[in-house]
Amino acid sequence: MAYMSMGEAHRRITEYLNRFSDAISCQDGATFKSLFALSSNSPFLLSLGDALNLFQDANRLIKQSDNHSQFTDILVPLFRSLQNYRQNNLLEAYNAFEKTANAFIQEFRNWESAWAMEALYVIVYDIRVLAEKADKELVSNGKSPEKLKGAGSVLMKVFGTLAGKGSKRVGALYVTCQLFKIYFKLGTVHLCRSVIRSIETARIFDFEEFPKRDKVTYMYYTGRLEVFNENFPAADYKLSYALKHCNPQSEANIRMILKHLIPVKLSIGILPKNSLLEKYNLLEYSKIVQALRRGDLRLLRCALQDHEDRFLRSGVYLVLEKLELQVYQRLVKKIYIIQKQRDPSRAHQVKLEVIVKALKWLVIDMDVDEVECIVAILIYKNLMKGYFAHKSKVVVLSKQDPFPKLNGKPVNS
Amino acid sequence: MEGGYGNRGSSFSQSRRGRGRGRGQRFPSNQSKVSSFAERGTPSSSSANRASASVISNTLEDDAQPSSNFVGTCPYMCPERERIQREKLRDLAIFERLHGNPGKSSPALAVKKFCRTISTKYVQASDMRPITVLEDTLNYLLSLLESKEHLFEVVHDFVFDRTRSIRQDITMQNIVNKKAIYMYEGMVKFHVVSHYKLWCSMSDPNTASLHHLNMEQLTKTLASLFNLYEANQNSNHVHENEAEFHSLYVLLHLGSYSQPMGEPLSLWFQRVSTPVLKSKEMCFARRILRSFRLGNYKDFFCTAAAQASYLQFCIMMPYINEVRVLALSCINFGGYKLHPYPLLDLSKLLFIKESDLESFCNHCGLETGTDESGNKLLPTKQTTFSHPKGGFQRYSFLGLQEYER
Repeated sequence: MAYMSMGEAHRRITEYLNRFSDAISCQDGATFKSLFALSSNSPFLLSLGDALNLFQDANRLIKQSDNHSQFTDILVPLFRSLQNYRQNNLLEAYNAFEKTANAFIQEFRNWESAWAMEALYVIVYDIRVLAEKADKELVSNGKSPEKLKGAGSVLMKVFGTLAGKGSKRVGALYVTCQLFKIYFKLGTVHLCRSVIRSIETARIFDFEEFPKRDKVTYMYYTGRLEVFNENFPAADYKLSYALKHCNPQSEANIRMILKHLIPVKLSIGILPKNSLLEKYNLLEYSKIVQALRRGDLRLLRCALQDHEDRFLRSGVYLVLEKLELQVYQRLVKKIYIIQKQRDPSRAHQVKLEVIVKALKWLVIDMDVDEVECIVAILIYKNLMKGYFAHKSKVVVLSKQDPFPKLNGKPVNS
Repeated sequence: MEGGYGNRGSSFSQSRRGRGRGRGQRFPSNQSKVSSFAERGTPSSSSANRASASVISNTLEDDAQPSSNFVGTCPYMCPERERIQREKLRDLAIFERLHGNPGKSSPALAVKKFCRTISTKYVQASDMRPITVLEDTLNYLLSLLESKEHLFEVVHDFVFDRTRSIRQDITMQNIVNKKAIYMYEGMVKFHVVSHYKLWCSMSDPNTASLHHLNMEQLTKTLASLFNLYEANQNSNHVHENEAEFHSLYVLLHLGSYSQPMGEPLSLWFQRVSTPVLKSKEMCFARRILRSFRLGNYKDFFCTAAAQASYLQFCIMMPYINEVRVLALSCINFGGYKLHPYPLLDLSKLLFIKESDLESFCNHCGLETGTDESGNKLLPTKQTTFSHPKGGFQRYSFLGLQEYER
């Protein structure tokens, strides 16, 4: 840490306070927002933290001037937060910042226009980031991580503040997306429901009015929620929207969206080209796509096993596991095609024993009872048309369209 | 205080029979690794494991307010003050009455009730039982489950409330050490076994509501147990029973789109450690889940029969009939009309007695018939099939019959 004199510390604090007051009196949103961005680690704020730690009596400076003293409720905890953040006391930094956020909300309500919206965005973002850091500190000290949950409560309050008739309402979607990040991290995604209901049904909100960046993020997260519910058509719509409207220069974001959209597309029978997988480094899906094309159950199982950690961590493993039925469908279809080439008049009768042998060739040991079970399920879910005869151990396929394509619709549940 | 509680037998798990099955095959032992709680040695409690903020508080009773360094001093299963007061009010459970006297109890019988409105402001150290007394209390309560004298529902009701009070005392004192883990495992086990036993009596409306409340506490207590595992975590060390209890969470998701703890399973998996994910118990649960979700009734029944532990069986049993219904749906829909399905073949497939299967089919709106030789048959393509509305009568699962009692 560079040496700082008491005089220099005093000067920096005074300068900050003057910027704060000037930003408010001039309604300078851009300057104002930078004053709250703790997690940006800007040299300006870090050196202010040093100054505050050295000076130790900043509250007197706040109260000295009428310009600053009316914002004591914001500035005092903000200074404490900056001090603690600089000293890496993240729990105390969060606690103080929460007080800052609450005081800011009170003030923000009184400002009629939305000039301070950018500052609100920064506070909303930082309270989440600081909460995450504070929780890490709590866990490392053997305590219960609970600050992220608290941050969620603060953001719900912010959301309520924005959900009104005025021009501030366009900020509601940004807050919603930060809430989503919190709930996804905590695993309490059922809490997303009430916010989504507000955004999608309240008369004051028009989705098209929201900033594009926020709409993309919103569609990404709500698309992921639809994946959890296995509502694949809705997931496809939302994730496709996010993909279409996201910044085409941001490969990381595109990749993140595709990671969830690809399993959705696979679930409705749409296979991606390998060039797409290569372009966005999603090669973990290559063998799965191959398995679906070939009807290779072993390949599917191997692909899931090879990338198990990755698929589990991204939350799509259970969706990919369900593709097994499509792989079986493809396998039986291939057997049917081969039989048709040999003897067209009898192609529509497939012995279960032949399927057993095909699976054995794929090093899958399955008895005829289980194959009958698989066939029964395929027929029941309309992946195959026909009937099976238990007595003669045969599946008799329909002469018309025995293997209907999904064509963008999910497998019957 | 009378002694002798410390090692009272409280086992309510059941060993599988060692000898082979009817088909002459032998399966590996499915003995649950969750042994009797009372048989476990007492690990030394370490101050390093004590935290000043409870890891349990955010998932257990919201009204319990943890406080720092609070240690209970009550030497009895029930604080004396409470016992005396409840004697006067004649508010004694049947298990707490001295010689059946509804107005008289004793330190060896009375157990502290769960208190809905407790707060740290008014509580005294003498109201709180320290960890060793809580252990003894839990052992005593679990031993009551062996009782043949009372209906299970009556025992359940008492143990349910009193174990909830034990959790309350643990939370109030911020106990997060290994002893707390063992105790929570014992309590989860109680709720899991109750889940099965209460399900067997679901036709009674009162039992149905007990079952619902039990599921609530089961999921809450399980979540607290996971938090305790995390608070006591060492890198690459898995607690002896950690994998099995995680597998129970997976099996609770067998119901269609159920999220018993409000969190999608896909999200929960993100936080499970790799050693637990790869464990035998979790691989079993994940395989069962896959078979269930795919509708592969054959693999579902065979895998369950071969590998399920007693606790896993207790969670799964309600879903056995669900899978049987699915199997009947598929076979009825896709079977060849001119060749009815032999009931004997079907009963083997579904691990159910043939006579039970006939009743089961009728319950699903399906008629059964008989051929010239007297063999029972299920004609397929029946249009009268329907998913049973009022639940099922209890049918054995032949693969794990020895667990049923």
